[in-house]
Amino acid sequence: MLTGWREFDETLRTLDTLRTLDQLHRRIDRAFEDWGVPGTSEITRRQAAPWPPMNVFETKEAFLVRAEVPGLAEGDVSVSVEDEALVIRGERKSDVPAGYKVHVRERAPVAFARKLPLPGRIDFEAVSATLRDGVLTITLPKAKDALPRQIAVKVG
Amino acid sequence: MGDVMTVRENGATAPAKSRVRVAVPAVDVFENADELLIVAEVPGVSSDGIELRVENDTLILQAKRAPEKDSWPALAREYEEVDYATRFRIPAGIDSSAIAAETKNGTLTVRLPKAAAAKPRKIAVQAKN
Repeated sequence: MLTGWREFDETLRTLDTLRTLDQLHRRIDRAFEDWGVPGTSEITRRQAAPWPPMNVFETKEAFLVRAEVPGLAEGDVSVSVEDEALVIRGERKSDVPAGYKVHVRERAPVAFARKLPLPGRIDFEAVSATLRDGVLTITLPKAKDALPRQIAVKVG
Repeated sequence: MGDVMTVRENGATAPAKSRVRVAVPAVDVFENADELLIVAEVPGVSSDGIELRVENDTLILQAKRAPEKDSWPALAREYEEVDYATRFRIPAGIDSSAIAAETKNGTLTVRLPKAAAAKPRKIAVQAKN
């Protein structure tokens, strides 16, 4: 979780199987609780970490948001600034090659939407994003009047 | 073809002087009649940072990020910028000399072609009158 940040949106995992499994877990939890057995809740209720994971940095002139999105190409992700928040949306589609048998599958397809409140006043027009080696970097330049200013001290 | 699921060995040793944590990458393994296909997630690593080598019947992968030139204070941190390492046992029937790899969007795809002898072969049946 982004500590100190409010998360508006949870990662949306569209995999129906996951959702079904989650509902099943909840139902089992409730059943156990009805019987007075609290033990399983902690494990089964643990939330999936939001995807993609993000780091936020502050430089002198800008805020930098980095997200690890391996497998996503340019067209798979959209970045926008809406209602004083940075919004990242996208989808990593299933990339099982046709005609291949699956032995191991650890890279699940995922659809996501994450919304982060802007960390400060920014220059909306100058926001930029680059995708390189599976890392999305969004640069949010600080608003000009929010930059530190040196004030000359004059002899009175 | 060998069961690749049990083939993967984790815990490849990191170089002693590395200060970066080394993680085992998430992988997919696929197979068709011609090849085994390994797809590993190595976000943040360019093709220059990837080292793949075959030792006996083991495929060893090490992926290192280029060091960041700058460091800024982090306001929030959900992931660590790790390096990656893992190894796979190459099943019998793979032509090790023909293993090829490419990187794209932070994923590494390794193709392990099957040796001709290991491929399913269709034998023509001729009618004899």
